[in-house]
Amino acid sequence: MLTYIIRRVLILIPMAFVICFLVYLGLELTPGDAVSHMINPDAAGSMNPAQLEALRQSLGLGQPFHVRFWSWFTNLVQGNFGYSMSGGVPISNIIATRLPATLELAAVALVFSTVIGSLLGVVSALKRGSKTDSALTVIGMLGVSIPEFFFGLVAISIFALNLGWFPVGGRSMPGYVTLWDRLPHMVMPAMVLSIMLTAGVMRYARSSMLDALSRDFIKTARSKGLPEWRVNLLHGFRVALTPVVVLIGFRLPVLIGGSVIIEQVFQWPGIGNEFISAVRSQDYPVVMTIALLSVMAVLVASLIVDILTAVIDPRVRLGE
Amino acid sequence: MTATQDIAISVRDLKTFFYTNNRCNKALNGVSFDIKKGKTLCIVGESGCGKSVTAASIMQLLPTLSRIEQGEIIYHADRGDIPLHALEKNGRHMRRIRGAEIAMIFQDPMTALNPVYSVGFQIKESLRYHMKMVGRAAHQKAISLLKEMGIALPEKRVNDFPHRYSGGMRQRAMIAMAMACSPKVLIADEPTTALDVTIQAQIFELMDKLKREHGTGIMLITHDMGVVAELADDVAVMYMGNIVEAGTVDEVLRQPTHPYTKALLASVPVLGKGRNQDIKAIRGSTPDPLNRPKGCQFADRCDFAVAQCQTMPEETRITPTHRVMCWRYKELVPNG
Ligand SMILES: Nc1ncnc2c1ncn2[C@@H]1O[C@H](COP(=O)(O)OP(=O)(O)OP(=O)(O)O)[C@@H](O)[C@H]1O
Ligand code: SF4
Ligand SMILES: [Mg+2]
Repeated sequence: MLTYIIRRVLILIPMAFVICFLVYLGLELTPGDAVSHMINPDAAGSMNPAQLEALRQSLGLGQPFHVRFWSWFTNLVQGNFGYSMSGGVPISNIIATRLPATLELAAVALVFSTVIGSLLGVVSALKRGSKTDSALTVIGMLGVSIPEFFFGLVAISIFALNLGWFPVGGRSMPGYVTLWDRLPHMVMPAMVLSIMLTAGVMRYARSSMLDALSRDFIKTARSKGLPEWRVNLLHGFRVALTPVVVLIGFRLPVLIGGSVIIEQVFQWPGIGNEFISAVRSQDYPVVMTIALLSVMAVLVASLIVDILTAVIDPRVRLGE
Repeated sequence: MTATQDIAISVRDLKTFFYTNNRCNKALNGVSFDIKKGKTLCIVGESGCGKSVTAASIMQLLPTLSRIEQGEIIYHADRGDIPLHALEKNGRHMRRIRGAEIAMIFQDPMTALNPVYSVGFQIKESLRYHMKMVGRAAHQKAISLLKEMGIALPEKRVNDFPHRYSGGMRQRAMIAMAMACSPKVLIADEPTTALDVTIQAQIFELMDKLKREHGTGIMLITHDMGVVAELADDVAVMYMGNIVEAGTVDEVLRQPTHPYTKALLASVPVLGKGRNQDIKAIRGSTPDPLNRPKGCQFADRCDFAVAQCQTMPEETRITPTHRVMCWRYKELVPNG
């Protein structure tokens, strides 16, 4: 098991390197360079080309691509992502203040979708063909097909503006310190963010569960005289779980992508919001860094999925 | 006649119907037989004749679309007779009997074990539920069961997952699981169809050993006449939901009376008869189960059919143990 995990982590390293390279290449290909962004265009007109060139040299921009890439990469590994073009703030600072908010939201949404999605899916499968099942199927279809921002706007208009149960947006208010204080702020964005994933998990859990229940070992379990709950949960759900975990892993990017929209709708001060404002102000280093981090997050997620699958499904434990 | 105390399960006039798309499939249309203690009853017949439905009826594991419509299944337990057909399908009472006193093994050992639990876990599950045996005792018992079923290195194998077992070993593990609580009756539904020939022989040998050593009554569903000749004490031949002929193995194999039994025996090579046998496939094919003939189910394919065969023949005894369902049995009884 341990060798399996180590092997998986080792595979990740070259992949991460290639992605960093592609991101740097993307940065390189965007119009202009650091100098053209540092200097206000009016001033640039009055500077002579030799001065600009000297500035470029002093910043190391005259060096060949691979040298610059390597220096950028080594900095990256040390947690130094470079500087934002608007204001010159270290990008790592931006990330450090914005990331926790995003992770908080994503974690709540992930846990919620996994638990509620599987639960509803299993109920749906066990009550196959009943009214509950049909209702859940319809809800699931709506959940995966209606865009999240729509749910967001509807939720704001109903629960915030009309009923006044939850605040319209933001993450916290002055004087709110504990998680408990902030909870009302979190409810709507987290719920809306999880709708799509919950619906996806539910649909998948249902079909996975139905598949598991139709397998021969269920008949064996029943023929042993085990009670129904044990047949359904220990034998059925346990086997149905593996594909569900894989699905959740594959859908994690949806959560990441969704958070960009949801943070915008609810004015949640997370990475997604930062991403949008960086795109608006053409702050390429910030945009690329966030993109890089998202890709890394997906990679790590897939690693976690692989390890989890190995833990729950003995047939996958190849490292033995 | 067999004395009642030798009988483990008696089935009387059992009718199990399927209801699909508002149509009724009379999968079992009045079936009677006994499973005797320490004896093997083989049930043979073409695909779709109702063998598996018979097994599922006894176990009360019928699919939701089907129902026992009529008849009785009596389990003669030490504590008295229990009418299985009247028990709630998944009720406590039935579950206490199922797996503990009447156990079952299935056709495909590759899929019959749960892939995410170790073989030991799955054996111990039975021990815990029926014998309240847990922990070390259960573990030791699981090991000794695997050992008895002929699994090498059972101490190590007990913790292995099913995918590390070969097909034959999995069927042995299945049998270990079924025998965990020393059942009175073991129902085996084509237990070796998915295995290769040498393994088949080993599994049957094992079942025969269990029958002798534990006095387990065995109901063995099979297609293989060679197996019947080898293992059976009693034989029941099924055709389209009826037992058309039943008796001791000698009676059925040596003096087959029903035209279907004769055709069935002629259609398979018989062990020990050599190579140049005259093998004849049975003419025609089984009728549509949803649109069955009114009278004798075999009439369309029978060489002896007469007008009378348009009504259902009755079960008639030729000897106290040998019975047949055919209007013309008198002419067909082989002399000798
Ligand atoms: N789950 C089911 N749903 C609908 N009909 C069924 C089902 N299972 C069995 N039947 C019907 O019941 C009848 C008897 O089937 P059964 O499975 O007992 O045959 P069998 O003798 O076991 O055949 P085989 O040798 O192929 O296993 C058939 O007509 C079949 O169509
Ligand atoms: S009853 Fe008639 S049709 Fe049926 S097996 Fe006998 S002879 Fe043939
Ligand atoms: Mg069958």
